[in-house]
Amino acid sequence: MPDKKLPSVPETILKRRKRQAEARAQRAKTVVASQRARRVKRAEIFQRAEKYVKAYRKQEQDEIRLKRDAKKNDGYYVPAEPKLAFVMRIRGINQVAPKVRKVLQLFRLRQINNGVFIKLNKATINMLRICEPYITWGTPNLKSVRELIYKRGFVKIDGKRVPITSNDLIENTLGKRGIICVEDLIHEIITVGDNFKYASNFLWPFKLNTPTGGWRKKTNHFVEGGDFGCREDKINNLLRTMV
Amino acid sequence: MSLSAARPVITVYGEKNEPSGTTCSLPAVYKAPIRPDIVSVIHHEIAKNHRQAYAVNQDSGHQTSAESWGTGRAVARIPRVRGGGTHRSGQGAYGNMCRGGHMFAPTKTWRRWHRKVNVAQKRYAMCSAIAATGVPALVMAKGHRIENIPEVPLVVSDKIQSYNKTKEAVILLRRLKAWSDIEQVYNTKRMRAGKGKMRNRRRVQKLGPLVIYANDQGLTRAFRNIPGVDTICVDNLNLLKLAPGGHVGRFCIWTESAFKKLDALYGTWRKASSEKKNWNLPQPKMAQTDLAKLLKSEEIRKVLRAPNKKIYKAVMKTNPLKNTRAMVQLNPYAVVQKKNAELLAAKRLREKAAVKAKKAGQKPAPQPNVKRAAALAKKGKAKKGKGKK
Repeated sequence: MPDKKLPSVPETILKRRKRQAEARAQRAKTVVASQRARRVKRAEIFQRAEKYVKAYRKQEQDEIRLKRDAKKNDGYYVPAEPKLAFVMRIRGINQVAPKVRKVLQLFRLRQINNGVFIKLNKATINMLRICEPYITWGTPNLKSVRELIYKRGFVKIDGKRVPITSNDLIENTLGKRGIICVEDLIHEIITVGDNFKYASNFLWPFKLNTPTGGWRKKTNHFVEGGDFGCREDKINNLLRTMV
Repeated sequence: MSLSAARPVITVYGEKNEPSGTTCSLPAVYKAPIRPDIVSVIHHEIAKNHRQAYAVNQDSGHQTSAESWGTGRAVARIPRVRGGGTHRSGQGAYGNMCRGGHMFAPTKTWRRWHRKVNVAQKRYAMCSAIAATGVPALVMAKGHRIENIPEVPLVVSDKIQSYNKTKEAVILLRRLKAWSDIEQVYNTKRMRAGKGKMRNRRRVQKLGPLVIYANDQGLTRAFRNIPGVDTICVDNLNLLKLAPGGHVGRFCIWTESAFKKLDALYGTWRKASSEKKNWNLPQPKMAQTDLAKLLKSEEIRKVLRAPNKKIYKAVMKTNPLKNTRAMVQLNPYAVVQKKNAELLAAKRLREKAAVKAKKAGQKPAPQPNVKRAAALAKKGKAKKGKGKK
């Protein structure tokens, strides 16, 4: 005689419970693993930042020492040609000659008061010469680079301009080139490293304010009392007023 | 798959709406894919085939010898009627804009009235239409009152084929509970809206059930006076009757022998049709059409990735040079840097103060934490000593 069973839980609900329990267990495991990985990463970033601080200080002191030693021995110290330049567009977009327009596009300076980091070599120096009346440039120091990247640092992810709110953004794109945090990025820019191209391109062109205190005369070269062209290390003074 | 679709058993009903004892398995046509789009298109094409030509008289507007007066006469250049002595002379003629002229694009009898439809398409539409009559939801959606009929599809014994009296037919429909559909026909008898009234299409009414028989021994005569009822032989099934208006789902009443013939007429997927040359039932595009069931099935769920339920909210950017927390998130060493800078600044201030104090001849201010530092140094030395031992 068939016994009347109580209605049991439908199979689909049992399946769903089992599926969800498995998913929960898996998620807990991944969370633990990711937390551990993150802690390790933080430690690594700390070490790197510490190393860079020491390296920058050492570099600075070395320069000073070499200069002093040369003077002591009645010689001359010729510092190395600068490798890094910060280029800023100071003129608007109307009535620009085609060659100049193209060079500015190649430098990603499509807007007035836009700035980018450029590696200096024969090619780029000649390009800067072509668009000289439209730009001002010079060698930024550590403080300028830091300020630019921390305050005005935006990054190109998926073709979008994303603010640097976390080191994960940097690691996801440049991790494979050994750059996992902002300090790595700054280091790569300052000491123009092997991956400077990728680091610099990863940074969206800086959009700067017009300088507090104003320009001298945008239509003249810096050496003539104006603003355009190379102003070597005086670019840092300008950047203090613009960042 | 369609080939293994279960074919339920249909009971044949007797004249008194009791199961007559014989049963019949559902013909495979009822499992054919229901394609209302195909039925609609084919219906509209086939419906064009019983049109009668219409056209205007080919002479209309040309029964004059009008000629244009040309320019220079201060009148429009339209051809004008010759002669004089009547109103008509000098009036414009021929043009569609002229009074008494021909119409624009006079309609011709040799317009292509009929449409050729591929035989396979016609058969596909038939199969769909028949399949749709077996779905009670579709039949009710078409508007037939079939709430109380015993079964869909409704199959009645062959006795009704020899009905001769309309009374018998009415009693049958009443017994089968199909009479409410006929009552609906009565209720919808009305005058047509529009010019059709004066074109011999004065009255309109709803369509009722379609009685399908195999052998007419009087059945047509019994049913023909009942409003709304159509009768048709199973050998000449008509799409215009099975899906009137291009809409599937007419209420059909089959006789037993007509119903049994369907397998031979349209085939089952296993066996091609024996009556129609080179025809088998159409293959459905989807084997399983129950979408809800598909989406919940294990086979599909297993291959899907987990749903992205995470909402990515934009993070507000704060200036790390001003906001310590933002700075520490990006650079954990910043804490040490800031602290060191603080200590260094404090140390320099103290040194300055000491120099000033010395100049003024006063004692320099005591270093903070000096006692603490000394105590710690002592402890460290003691530990080192212990360790060495």
